Amino acid sequence: MSVVPLHSNNAFHQDPKFGRLLLLSLIVHVVVWAVFTGGWFGVSQRPKPPVYYVDLIHKPVLNPQAGRPEPRPASKPKPEPVKSAAVTPSAPKEPAKPVAKIPPKPPEVVVPKPTPKPEPKPAAKPVPKPAAEPDRRTEQKLQNALDEIRERQKHEAERDALKERLAKLSESVNAAATVPADVPVGMPDGQGNEVGVSALAFVQAFIQQNWVLSPYLLDQSRIANIEAKATLAYSASGKLVRFRINSPSGNQQFDDSLKRAITKSDQLPQGLPKDLELVVTFNLKDIAAARR
Amino acid sequence: MFVRWIVLLVACCALPWSVRAATEIEISAPGEQSIPLALTQFLPDQGPQSARVAAEINEVLNADLDLSGLFRFVDPAAFLDDAGRISLLSNQVNFPQWRMLGAETLIKGSYSLTGEQLVVEARLFDIVNRRLLTGRRYVGEVKDVRRMAHAFADLVLKALTGEEGPFSSRIAYISNQTGHPELWLMDVDGKRPIRLTDHRSIVLNPDFSPRGKEILFTSYRANNPDLYRKEIYSGKEARLSYRPGLNVAGRMAPNEREIALTLSKDGNPEIYLVDISGRVLKRITDNWGIDSDPSWSPDGSRMAFVSNRQGNPHIFIADIFTGKAERLTTQGKYNATPAWNPKGDRIAFTRQEGGRFDIYTIKTDGTDERRLTFGPGNSEHPRWSPDSRFIVYSSDKSGNRAIYVMRADGTGARRLTTLESDSRHPAWSTRW
Repeated sequence: MSVVPLHSNNAFHQDPKFGRLLLLSLIVHVVVWAVFTGGWFGVSQRPKPPVYYVDLIHKPVLNPQAGRPEPRPASKPKPEPVKSAAVTPSAPKEPAKPVAKIPPKPPEVVVPKPTPKPEPKPAAKPVPKPAAEPDRRTEQKLQNALDEIRERQKHEAERDALKERLAKLSESVNAAATVPADVPVGMPDGQGNEVGVSALAFVQAFIQQNWVLSPYLLDQSRIANIEAKATLAYSASGKLVRFRINSPSGNQQFDDSLKRAITKSDQLPQGLPKDLELVVTFNLKDIAAARR
Repeated sequence: MFVRWIVLLVACCALPWSVRAATEIEISAPGEQSIPLALTQFLPDQGPQSARVAAEINEVLNADLDLSGLFRFVDPAAFLDDAGRISLLSNQVNFPQWRMLGAETLIKGSYSLTGEQLVVEARLFDIVNRRLLTGRRYVGEVKDVRRMAHAFADLVLKALTGEEGPFSSRIAYISNQTGHPELWLMDVDGKRPIRLTDHRSIVLNPDFSPRGKEILFTSYRANNPDLYRKEIYSGKEARLSYRPGLNVAGRMAPNEREIALTLSKDGNPEIYLVDISGRVLKRITDNWGIDSDPSWSPDGSRMAFVSNRQGNPHIFIADIFTGKAERLTTQGKYNATPAWNPKGDRIAFTRQEGGRFDIYTIKTDGTDERRLTFGPGNSEHPRWSPDSRFIVYSSDKSGNRAIYVMRADGTGARRLTTLESDSRHPAWSTRW
């Protein structure tokens, strides 16, 4: 008895042209679909987002427009309705402005300091010469005094430089913090057209907020290199559907802290525009950089 | 065959989709760097209630865990009803209640008093994952209550960091409470001080043996700075080295068979190795300068010491076997009292600058020098805790010289001894 394969009676095999046409059609469909959706060529990895400002109040969207996520500043004209506006409110306001302008003055106050500095130098120079011959101790003392003065000058210069840097930094921070009233809600690097904050930044900020880890827990030499990766899947309602630690760091305390952070982030405070699957890289680069 | 082709094609097309679906983000720092801890009052389980026992356990745990720098304590005023229940099993704890308070870890416990006998049960829970992290039952007498609490604090650090804390160890130091500088011993929180010597002379520079059972120190009891060795438990004492001149800064090697010390029997202070009976085995330094203050590396192959062989006093590291010494510190004009940490990667030392002493640490290759103490007064004689996480030192920043402890990065400094007397030269034992 011979066994005949069932598919030997199949129409595809009886008419090879039909099969080939079907295959060709399928390939064309798949190629067209892949080209149009961009899936065939793959999508370039989204570059690492630089800095995200997320207040967790605005709606997370996929394509945020350019703007800022901070709430719009409250309007200023509140003091006006006060009855005694002519007497009291105007008085504190006026001194307040000069106070704000005072910072440029301290450098002027500091300026006199360098002037006394040159003074000891001429005083110190003539003394060693006569002292050098009769008494070496005096010379040594003067040398020590000079060293001390130089050391002090060095410290003062360092302090002044630090003060300057601090002033510049606080200026730039203040400038960044003042949001004009007409700035739209969005993200600084937003290129879309939706009003809201980036969904990715929203999730990132929420997980980071829940991540508690003391650097004292870890071997200090490992802080710069420690890293773990986890995959998290959120539903559109903001619920954590599943997670997996893909590549643990190898440090029990670090990995435990991640699990706790993820567990605490099991429900986002707001929904997402769609289901989201994320690969989150956890590391301590910022802490290591701050310690350098 | 044909079907297989179709499946393969579809799979190939779907692959880029699946790759693209997961977007990558990076979180490069935790949102909070201290673990929120709820430390509840220990409750009486059986027998009479003792407010003192509960308060002492709480006080010790609070101080030890706060010093560790790992935790942020949840305000006890916010505690809800679960804090008033003895729940030592994870299925008895109301975790949602604690999570609502923002805590991530929870310490609960109970005690039972029967006459002078005390049984303490202590537990550490992970609130987020709702599980018991560690727990112990301590049996002893009421006077041991602080030791029990220190032991549990060590255990908490082990559960959370993988390395036991140093809180069960002791600190030896020199204090003139009795009118003479004598050798004293206290807990790491400065409590339970006991006097070990009664030389009525000058005692200085103590150091523990690696196993913590003996202390080496120098005393002028016989009108010469001689090296003594004392057994802590038996109180037995022996004069180990009493050569003419200095017999100071004795440090026992990690193998406990050799002692490095400074002798000036030939006029110039040099570092020698002697055996445990005081017989000279080897001369380590041979130089016109003053060589002193040896400190062993944890493996016993090298030794840090102070020498002025190149002008000013600086820290050098010598190879024990070859005797070859290399200079470690290059900054400053006066560096002294080196202390090699038990992990072996850093050396703490004192530097005089602007007429004031401050404590610094440096890597053993001479890089990454860090200043740890600032402000008024002199900070001197640094010594490491057995886990290298803390440094004990003496300072006169508040008037009289007292013993202080701080974290290895210079934060969290606190005073351990009172200011009524002068305390100096601390030494930290291994874990007891």
